[in-house]
Amino acid sequence: MEQLAYPPRMTEFTRPFWTALGEGRFLTTRCAKCSHMTFPPKPLCPECWSKEVEWVPLKGEGILRSYTEICVAPEMFAKDAPYVLGIIDLDEGIRCMSRVLAPFESLEVDQRVKLRVRQSEPVCLYDFEP
Amino acid sequence: MTPKASIVGIGALPVGKHSNLLDHEMLIAALTEALADAGLTKRDVNALVFSTPRPYTEQRYFGTFMAGYLEMPMDDILLEVLGNGMTGALAFDIAVERVASGRASVAVALGVNREMHVDTGEHMHLTMRAVGDVDFHVPFGVTPIAWYAFNAVRYMHDYGLTREQLAAIAVKNRRHAGLNPVAQMRKPITVDDVLSARPIVRPLGLLDVPPRSDGAVAIVIARPDIARSLGRHVDVVGRGYHHEGIHQVSARPRSLSRFESAEIASARAYASCGITARDLDFAEVYAPCSIVELILSESLGLVETGAGGEAAAAGETSIGGRIPISPSGGCLSRGHPPLVTPLYNVYETVQQLRGEAGERQVASASIAATTAELGDYNSTMMHIMATGRL
Repeated sequence: MEQLAYPPRMTEFTRPFWTALGEGRFLTTRCAKCSHMTFPPKPLCPECWSKEVEWVPLKGEGILRSYTEICVAPEMFAKDAPYVLGIIDLDEGIRCMSRVLAPFESLEVDQRVKLRVRQSEPVCLYDFEP
Repeated sequence: MTPKASIVGIGALPVGKHSNLLDHEMLIAALTEALADAGLTKRDVNALVFSTPRPYTEQRYFGTFMAGYLEMPMDDILLEVLGNGMTGALAFDIAVERVASGRASVAVALGVNREMHVDTGEHMHLTMRAVGDVDFHVPFGVTPIAWYAFNAVRYMHDYGLTREQLAAIAVKNRRHAGLNPVAQMRKPITVDDVLSARPIVRPLGLLDVPPRSDGAVAIVIARPDIARSLGRHVDVVGRGYHHEGIHQVSARPRSLSRFESAEIASARAYASCGITARDLDFAEVYAPCSIVELILSESLGLVETGAGGEAAAAGETSIGGRIPISPSGGCLSRGHPPLVTPLYNVYETVQQLRGEAGERQVASASIAATTAELGDYNSTMMHIMATGRL
């Protein structure tokens, strides 16, 4: 299994996110007070600063707003290069940045993409594919 | 137009590789040149505002070390500042405010960026932690320039920009740098050179992105009445700032083909001195990639939306054109020692407004803007400067 070159840190709060991803579920947090949804998940609502947040599922589908191909990568990612990164607007109205599993030349701005969980350690990652 | 403060002296090392000098040796060269240029001595200075140096600088508490090295007591304040790419502009802004508020009569904004002695692989490792959310961006392998590549792909889609048009900016800035004694990259390049250069983050290649650089700059700022008694000077007449509350990428959908913080900050800067974008004679901007200068030219109101590439290709933003941008050669060719780049922008602006820019001189230059940014233009600082005659 792939050992992540630069693994995310897991905290008590973010543990549900990383665990769910390992089970194929993509979650984030939504404020119980004002319904503001945010990504990455946070223990307080960035909008109203309430600490009452709840975990909600994301469909894992969205629109590829832009992308690029990293040809010159930091040493720890050199073995993956070249690889494609993208900015994705999820259908739930939040934006994230991730890898896109497709050749750079094959992609089109505003095409639809969907989640593909990367089986890796110490945690899984959320990549996207056409 | 009431000046907040005036720039009375400038000093800088040529941008490039200075591995043979230590950080303090670089900075004392710039500082002594600036004070001599001002006709002042160390005893006249009551505030020192440093860009924080790179983590590679062996000497910690560098600002205090410099004051001790030069035996320079300070009556108003001595501090180091850090604001990512905006660092040098924050040092400048704070130095201007110390004078404008009446707390200091003479303040120096200065800094050194020494990093060329560290190889690129090791350096990329450091910059990775600065380039986004270390838990939710960096694990995917994002690099500092990647964010601008996202802007490029989106802008090309939205407005039909071609790589040839985009390359015009790199070619233009290299031409400007060829006329600039402090510029790092001065050999002329062509559009073909830009298109065939090694890809870095598609569609941006090696000549669309800045080199790594060392540099040191000092800017001496004085109360306007002191400036007038000293002789030639440049007035700081306007200022605007905005931070979007975003770190690289927004949590919500928003445009990737405009820089909203630059729109807001520039509107505030223009309003602060009663001008519009059309009144500027030139702009010395912080633009680490060709696409950044292009989008910025529109966001600052210097070029119509969607016309940035066309305007550059037609020579509108060249010296001699309608609205010269980056007469120094900019980050791409003047060079980009990140923690002091904004101070090099002030340096160029002062030379231009004093009529001392030689072959780069923008004709009848009397009012201009500098910008600085951080992230993906998530925050913008603009200063407006004018000749002392206005």
